[in-house]
Order: sequence, then C-alpha cells, then structure tokens
Amino acid sequence: MAGSVGLVRSTVVVFRVLLGQLRSPARLTGLGLLGVLSMVISWSVGSGADPSPVQHLDNATGVITLFTFTLVLPVIALIFGVGALGDARDDGTLVYLWVRPLNQISVVFGAWLAATVISLPLIVIPAALSALLLDAGSELVMATLVASALAVVAYSAVFVMLGILSRFAVVLGLVYVLLWEGVVASLGSIGAKMALRGYANSIVTSRTGVRTELANSAESTSIIIFAIVTVVALLLAAARLATLEVD
Amino acid sequence: MADSSLPPPPPPPAPPVGQPADHVPPPPSADSRIETPLVGVYGVTKAFGDVVAVSDVSFTVGPGITALLGPNGAGKSTLFRMLCGLAAPSQGTVQILGKDARRDTAVRGRIGLVPQQDALFDRLSAQAFVEVAAITHGLDRPRERAAEVLGVVDLDPGERKPVGAYSKGMRQRVKLAAALVNDPDVIIADEPLNGLDPVQRKRMIALFRELGESGKCVLVSSHVLDEVARLGSDILVIAQGRLAATGNFHDLRALMDDRPHRIHIATNDPRALGAELLRRAIADGVRVIEDGVEFDTTDIEAFGLAIAPVARELDVHLNGLVPLDDDLESVFRYLVER
Repeated sequence: MAGSVGLVRSTVVVFRVLLGQLRSPARLTGLGLLGVLSMVISWSVGSGADPSPVQHLDNATGVITLFTFTLVLPVIALIFGVGALGDARDDGTLVYLWVRPLNQISVVFGAWLAATVISLPLIVIPAALSALLLDAGSELVMATLVASALAVVAYSAVFVMLGILSRFAVVLGLVYVLLWEGVVASLGSIGAKMALRGYANSIVTSRTGVRTELANSAESTSIIIFAIVTVVALLLAAARLATLEVD
Repeated sequence: MADSSLPPPPPPPAPPVGQPADHVPPPPSADSRIETPLVGVYGVTKAFGDVVAVSDVSFTVGPGITALLGPNGAGKSTLFRMLCGLAAPSQGTVQILGKDARRDTAVRGRIGLVPQQDALFDRLSAQAFVEVAAITHGLDRPRERAAEVLGVVDLDPGERKPVGAYSKGMRQRVKLAAALVNDPDVIIADEPLNGLDPVQRKRMIALFRELGESGKCVLVSSHVLDEVARLGSDILVIAQGRLAATGNFHDLRALMDDRPHRIHIATNDPRALGAELLRRAIADGVRVIEDGVEFDTTDIEAFGLAIAPVARELDVHLNGLVPLDDDLESVFRYLVER
C-alpha cells in the first residue's frame, strides 16, 4: 500500500508541519517586538541631529550593522532555526518524521525552509523599515534588504544543524552570536572569516561604500560563502539526523 | 505468536514459562529457506552509560498479537525504539521483516508505531495529522485514507479542532490511526491503552485482536496483566531489562499461583497459629511480628482452605488476612531473582 516518497513531496509536508509548529503566538510576539525595537532606535537616530550627509550615512549604517545584524537578525534566526527540529526532538514529535520512509535530507530541508520562511519577514521587514527610518538613502535600504535576506538563509541552516547536534543549541547559538561574532571575531582575521555577520556587513559595505566591522569580502564572495555554509550545514544536519537516537 | 526459539533449522524449543531466555539465537542467514520472522531480536543489549536498559534479550515474533509485559522502567519502550530503528542496540541485532529499520528506510514503511509519549503536532486537526502520516508513507490518496482510518478508531475526520485540544484517549486513537494508515505488516504499540476509558479500551482491544487475526504482527506493551489477559495474546515478560518469561496468560497466571507467597495474618495469638501451621506443613516459614504473623507458603490453595479450621481448633481470633505479594511487581521480581 505504501509507496516511495518523493523528495519534493516529503519536503513540502515537513515544511508545512514544522512551520505550523513554529508559529506560536508567544514566540512571534516576542521576536516581533525585537524588530519593533530596532525600528524605534532607527527612528530616533534618523530624526536626530544631522551633522552631514556622509556622517549620517556612516551613523545609519552603524545602526544597521551593530544592532540589526548583530542582535536582531541572528537571535530571531537562532530561535526559529533551533526550534525547527530541536523542538520536535525535545517534545517527542520527531518520532513521527523519523519512523517514516523519508530521506533525512527532506526532513532537514523542510525544517530549514520553515525556519527561513518564518524568520524572513520578522527580520527583513523591520530591517528594511529601520533603514528607511534612518533616512540615509535608498542604497542603505537595498543593501540592508539584500544582506539581511541572504544572511537569514545561512543563519537558519546553521541553527537548524545546531538544533540537531545539541540539546543546548540555544545556549550554544547565543555563545556563537554574542561571544564569537560579537567579540572574538573582531580580534583577528581568522575569527572574522568564521563570522556570518562579517559577510552580511560586507554586502552593506559593497553597496554603500561605508566601512563596517568585520567586512573584508566582496559581495559576490559573501553570497558564495552564504551558499556554501547553507549547503554544508544542511548536509551535516541530515547526516546527524540519520544517526540520531530519537526519544 | 511469540517465539524465543531460532528460526533456521533445527529450531530449539521456546524457553518454558518462567525460564529466562539464556540463549542467543543468531539472526537468520540471507540464504535461509525458512521464512523470516516478522520481528527478530537477537542477543540485544542497550546501555545508556552505566545503566543497562535492555540486557541480552532474544526472541522472534510472527503474526498475531504478542504482549510485552513488564513494570515501568523494565526496558519495553527501549526495546520498541530499537525495533523501529529509533535507537541502535549496543550489542546484538534487531530486525523487522529481516531488515534493520535503523539503516533500511524502506522497511519503516511497513511498520506502524504508536509511541508511548503523548506528543502530537498539536496545531493540526486529527485529519491533517493522519494525512501527514499518509503522505510521508507515500500513499496516493492521503486524504481519503486518513479519513478511512480515523473512522476505524471512531474519530470524526470532519472535526476541525486541533489535536492539542483532544483528551488523552482521543490522542491515543489519533496515534493509532496514524500508525495504521499505511496498512503496516508490523504494528508496534507502546502502552496504547493508557488513558482510554473502559469503552474505548474494549474497542481498542477488539481492534488489536482483529489486526492480529488478519495476519499482522501486533506487538503491544503493557504493565497491566488484566489488559494483556483481555488481548488474549502471547506474552513476553520483561523485567529489569531481561526477558524473564514467555507464554500465554494462563501460563503466567499459573506461575503467579505456583510461586512462593507471603501472607500477613493479624491475630491475638500469633505464636500458637504459626507453630500449628508449621507443624502441619501448611506454611514453609513463619515470622511473628508485632501485630500478627507472616507466613510463607508455596501452596496458596491449601493454605486458604486450612487457615480457618486451624484457627477454630486453637480458639484463635483471625482479625485480618492480607497477601503481601499478590501483585504483578512481585511476580516480575520473582522471575528476575530465581
């Protein structure tokens, strides 16, 4: 009676199920408020004293890269990325996906899609609105849109993987975001290369010409790095899922 | 039919009731002309660090209902998780239809699992939940099939309420529907009767019997002897991670009666009563305690017949009689210790 399950069909069903599970009102409200906070800060900076157009662009870019890209973006991606499979693992519902004749790639891919789709509007819309409220020109708005969208894709993959690798994924993720990307990465070039935030900042720098922290790549390089990180993280997550002991 | 004997020739006999399974049958060879058992567990041990959850368990199971009976924490769920591929044995081999479900994704399509944990995708309706199961099994008409199996477990496919708002009994039935959606050859149900009311329990037991009679292998775990009795199944008794006995309900019941029993009697003259029952060899051991006397006996029936006449002869008052080990836990303990 049972047949083989196509990769696309199984990915879509996993995506739908996990998207529904991630969409808890409390989580959406809490993380939505983080986005609102970034907009409020941007509005206050945007409507403040305006020394010169160049200085204003520098200040505005600083707000985007130092607050939106350092805190809002990775934290929202972390909560949804880890939750996509980590929650299912913790509450026991992962059993219903694991015991089915599915390729583990489709489970991981569906989880990543769910995390990305729910994170994107919560991150990209406030980020773009923040850039608008900063009133520093359309280049910063476009740069913020592109950089944040691409970064969400990569961060989500990394955090989906982390959710499968560890039961303390949120803590580890926060350590990566706050300690590694926030402190260690700024101490040397090797650390900076391993910080996703650096590649998001690089895109902003490429498009605005404003020097930002950790930015040392061309836009094309940043896009390639995001793509590689995404693929590798998802493959590692699928490999780990296949050998996971599921409760 | 549960069988702890070997599948390939010559099959050694199943261990008698109450006997621990002290042999480790090898898994059937690839070129075996003997039919592969639906479920095969061969010398399986599972340890979590220093804690051994399952210890050197071997049995094979064919079509029909087989109950895995044991107290909470005996290792039943761990064994079921290994059967479904959710966990890997530390030692030994576990096979469903001759395949290792942990490595062989396809064989998972022939298993229906009712997990013990209560978790479901709580935001989905019952229909959507079972439909997800149907799609992930690659079924062609998932909506129709989901509605069909929900009907089998007496749930309304048109109910839009999310399963998160369902009662425990309804959630159990949703889990069962999801397990049946692919028409599996092997159904593994971990404590499926938990949380059901008596009517639902009766319906569920009838359904399991029907599935067993249709030639499917139905493995059901329970820690309640009466439930297992009503399933009319073969029984694998597991205690402290070991396969302690195999047989049917009557074998197990006899075992409960034949084992040594301990009875507490509250009386005004424990010494006289104890001495007389010992003299008549009705009791094997006597211990006088503060409010009465405790007797050990291997013949509970003779003891029951003799106690009142002896008390009358001695003019001793019997104020109370309590069996101290007439529960399943003590049977499990006895099986493990002997």
